[in-house]
Amino acid sequence: MDYEVLSPWGEVDPVPPRGILPRVTDLSGKTIGLFSFFKPVGPPLMREIERQLKERFPTAKFSHYQYPVHSVEIAEDDNYKASFEEWLKGVDTVVTGHGD
Amino acid sequence: MYLAYNTVAMEKLGKPVVMTCMKLFYDDARSAAARKGMATLRILPTPLTQRPEGEALRAGVSAIINDIVTALTKPLTAEEKSPAKEERKPARIIFKGNLQEVNWFFYKRGWAYGMPIIPPTEEAVAEMLKGTDLPGDHVVAKIPPRFGKATVEKIAVNAVMAGALPTYMPVLIAAVQALVDPGWYADCYTASIASWAPFWIINGPIRHDLHIHSGVSLMTPEWKANAAIAHAMGLIIKNLGGVRPGVEDMGAMGHEGKYNLCIAENEEESPWEPLHVEQGLKKEDSAVTVFFPNARSWLVHYGQDADGILRALCRIPYQGHLLGFGGMIMSPENAKGLANGGWTKKEVISYVRENARAPAHSVGLPSERQGGSMWTPKELMPVDPNFAVRLITTQKTFESFEPIRIIVAGRILTILYSGFMPHYGGWITKKIELPANWDQLVKKYKDIVPTYAH
Repeated sequence: MDYEVLSPWGEVDPVPPRGILPRVTDLSGKTIGLFSFFKPVGPPLMREIERQLKERFPTAKFSHYQYPVHSVEIAEDDNYKASFEEWLKGVDTVVTGHGD
Repeated sequence: MYLAYNTVAMEKLGKPVVMTCMKLFYDDARSAAARKGMATLRILPTPLTQRPEGEALRAGVSAIINDIVTALTKPLTAEEKSPAKEERKPARIIFKGNLQEVNWFFYKRGWAYGMPIIPPTEEAVAEMLKGTDLPGDHVVAKIPPRFGKATVEKIAVNAVMAGALPTYMPVLIAAVQALVDPGWYADCYTASIASWAPFWIINGPIRHDLHIHSGVSLMTPEWKANAAIAHAMGLIIKNLGGVRPGVEDMGAMGHEGKYNLCIAENEEESPWEPLHVEQGLKKEDSAVTVFFPNARSWLVHYGQDADGILRALCRIPYQGHLLGFGGMIMSPENAKGLANGGWTKKEVISYVRENARAPAHSVGLPSERQGGSMWTPKELMPVDPNFAVRLITTQKTFESFEPIRIIVAGRILTILYSGFMPHYGGWITKKIELPANWDQLVKKYKDIVPTYAH
């Protein structure tokens, strides 16, 4: 006997796709933002990334930001949104970490 | 997941970004970025573990530093600049085949757990929809993280698959509403590395209408209503929330309770007020409550009196994190032993909160190495760094007071279902609304109970 069955998978409202931003051409002289999430590994990881990037790009500058709140979008967090956006204005490019 | 969301936010605010993550979380990050419309976000999987230190950290970063530079500076591809739009409207009727073919099709799509499902045919779904007065296209909720639309029909499709009866639909609809309550972050529980499982507790007259079990062999998934409600909700979280193992569900060890934790409270034998009344409803209301534990402990009483029971309740093992919340599934025998000794629920919880302790030397050491963390806030860590002092002192096992509940059910013993991190919120209760034809529906299915005929 054959069964014709309905899909259990939920429909979603489509999100328009968008591309990512053009990259900086060179890290020399740039300010590199290092954004760490709430877990303890974030800051030491970013410090090590800074140390190793500085060896390769001695004129690069670095700026750290840790968002200590978990499972919230910072853009919706009134406690951090302003400082985050202010920090972001001061950097040319960003590395975030460490997803787990 | 949320790191990916925040990384996308930075691109949208005008800064080029590269995200690093553990290799294991690469698909999770990719899925999260795509949900925000940025499927081509540059994400770099790393060989780093969750808590690298010292040489492991240095070596791990050395292994990826050139890739970080490349990701920060390499010009974009055409696809990265202008990703193609996916045009895909899902079909309503998705497959035709025999019972085995339907099962294999659903399993391979990731729409079922590793056990058989009932084919959700038009006829079966139409029968299931008799359990509610709501129209099939009514959207009960959009379930995170994917925000799939939980229409009444989709709930019914997943309910059929789980072997539910139409009389379970009011419970499932209320349970879906509980999932998306603003009082918590449901996707944190359903997708977390900590492997939380939804635990559903039913109160009120509906327990008897549906034969939801609250007695002996409580946690064995023997009972149709208990098993099918939990199974249906597991499928709903998976198929409408879009939580796939290893992609969105990053539970490191997983949890056997993802689709089978559902009980009724034994209100008739409880000496205290039932859970849903504690949560603000009336005793005559029917309700579903959910919380998301990830650990389970037996608490076997030392004696039948209050002292013997309380000492057992305090013997909660420390499992590497201070506990943030817990549901004590307490037998009527234990509950009456406490009540006969003059204890209220609140007093029991307060006593356990104060007296459930672990040796101080075993608490907080990983966090101490990392300078304290959200798992063990500094104010709760042992004050004295002297190991010898920590050997003879104790530390509270529970981090906070509020999110502990006692539910009277089962027999003879008490089991604690618990978890750390109360910060995600918990203990959401929703009133169950019944359709107009409820009495007829209950009568139609009232004989679906095991008789163990020999």
